[in-house]
Amino acid sequence: MVQLFLEFLSNTGFALADYRHFIMILIGIIFIYLGIAKHYEPLLLVPIGFGILVGNIPVFKGLGLGIYEDNSVLHYLYMGVTSGVYPPLIFLGIGALTDFSTMLARPMLMLLGAAAQMGIFLTFLGALALGFAPNEAASIGIIGGADGPTAIFLTAKLAPHLIGPIAVAAYSYMALVPVIQPPIMKLLTSRKERLIRMEEPREVSKKEKIIFPIIGFLLCCFVAPAALPLLGMLFFGNLLKECVVAERLAQAARTSVLDTVTILLGLTVGASTQADVFLTPQSVGIFILGATAFGVATASGVIFAKIMNMFLKTKINPLLGAAGVSAVPDSARVVQMVGQAEDPNNFLLMHAMAPNISGVIGSAIGAGVLWSFIG
Amino acid sequence: MPAGLELLKSIDTFSTFTQEELEKIAPLVNPMKVMEGEILAKMGYRARTFFIVIKGNFLLSFKNGKAITLHNKGDIMGWSTLVAPFEYRGTVIALTNGEVLALPGQEFYLLLQSDSALCSKIMNEINSIIASRTPYHEV
Amino acid sequence: MYGLENISAHNGWAISFVGVTIVFTGLTLLCLTIAQLHKILDIWENKDKYINNRNHKTLTSTPANAVPKPCMPVEELETIRQYKMIADRLEQPFSLPKLLDIAVKIGLERPHSTINTLLVKKIIISDGKGYFIWTS
Repeated sequence: MVQLFLEFLSNTGFALADYRHFIMILIGIIFIYLGIAKHYEPLLLVPIGFGILVGNIPVFKGLGLGIYEDNSVLHYLYMGVTSGVYPPLIFLGIGALTDFSTMLARPMLMLLGAAAQMGIFLTFLGALALGFAPNEAASIGIIGGADGPTAIFLTAKLAPHLIGPIAVAAYSYMALVPVIQPPIMKLLTSRKERLIRMEEPREVSKKEKIIFPIIGFLLCCFVAPAALPLLGMLFFGNLLKECVVAERLAQAARTSVLDTVTILLGLTVGASTQADVFLTPQSVGIFILGATAFGVATASGVIFAKIMNMFLKTKINPLLGAAGVSAVPDSARVVQMVGQAEDPNNFLLMHAMAPNISGVIGSAIGAGVLWSFIG
Repeated sequence: MPAGLELLKSIDTFSTFTQEELEKIAPLVNPMKVMEGEILAKMGYRARTFFIVIKGNFLLSFKNGKAITLHNKGDIMGWSTLVAPFEYRGTVIALTNGEVLALPGQEFYLLLQSDSALCSKIMNEINSIIASRTPYHEV
Repeated sequence: MYGLENISAHNGWAISFVGVTIVFTGLTLLCLTIAQLHKILDIWENKDKYINNRNHKTLTSTPANAVPKPCMPVEELETIRQYKMIADRLEQPFSLPKLLDIAVKIGLERPHSTINTLLVKKIIISDGKGYFIWTS
């Protein structure tokens, strides 16, 4: 009996754990704390944080418990990530949630979303310079798109071994957008520019809102076919929303489908973030490049807006360029906050949603391009 | 017709809103009776609820000791639920028993984010309120 | 390999340049298409008459400045005197929240509705700058 007891003890987590497990568990707890106590992206950080706890419980290999063991429950759930299924489903929900009318009312603001995607490619170059392989560099670069599902989608295709640190970096920085962006925005703009008021957007008809997802899908996927899974679902979700006749499906897409996939994605990505992959010098490089990516993307958007103003009669507020970073809707809210700090009556949120949403489309196109070149 | 929709239609602030727009807002509306002395919002606290006065007199006080009273049907309190940093700029106390419409701030904000035309109308109203009240909460 | 050497070895410059170009091209094409979409739809619908905006119901509302019926404490004059004393201590123009706060602290009966009564009867009026004055 004593022998049995000792055998049991040797199979417990206490016997199997080493210091790295405890570090990862601490990281998971920090994520949960940030999500619950500080309200930093709780819908993402809480599942990811708990997933980190799940994935870093020391288990005896061969029992089909760990996420990387073929016959485990977690492994089956994780297949949605590795096969690239979850991100397009999330995009379906996002499309069913999003109102594109601010973008339709002022299409020119879409170019700010395009400019912000320079963050992807400049970070790609930075990652190559640091010695990462092209597939890894592309996966790191996509963090600059500030789009979690896109980052996971591309990383699953190109560098699945980096999903954990890249997803954690991408979502962490998305949660930190209100901290990262404002100093860059203030540095690159003058007070006079920040006070620019935007014109009221024109009214967008229902027909436009219905036709747009079809035209947008066809145009974007003809230009970048590799973006099909993501953009196809995004525009499909939006069509379900706008056509009204399929409101039940749109409702399901933006509630139950989106929430279910978010839970599974967050939990499994967190669980895949294990010490031997996460606690490496490579991860440090990923985190540094991730922060750079966000900063560069913000700066690109703002600078492009200033360049546009050189040619426009009616100036646009260059703060809107920061909203091209497709952390929807946080970066649009940051633009609103920074603009209102200068003028409490300057309401920029609505206008900022245009580059914000076009940033989602731009980052999906960027991911498609990188996948087609490097995949 | 739901009670919330009827009440919204009876308020001047919403007189330019279409039926469709009011129907979007109505499900969020929660008529609420308030007692004399009840505190509806506290300055510096997270702004979670948006209020519209139906009846009663309310004292809206600010950090510097300034205050205004709100007693007209349609007067708005708690616009900070829609504007960063999402903290109440003043404290609202009911001076009398009354009735307000309470809208949950988070859901209201999400509704406005998903409908830019509605957002534009609401924010135009709020902008004029912000402008009229800014002199009171500046030191 | 590191640095520029690694970038060149893996065609990084070309990939980045082409990638940025494709993203810009895609979104620019979309932008141009959307910019024309509403004009095309307008032309298509030109022959149809636009539906006029619905007239909204004329809303009847309660009269402006309708303040609820005041609650009258039993000894009205005494109450007014007590509040006048507090207001005098605060000096004019005074902060109404401060007056209320003091009234609550010293335990006056139903301070909120009393202040409402004082406002309704215009014993206390706003100075238009957020403070209040006691009229005679």
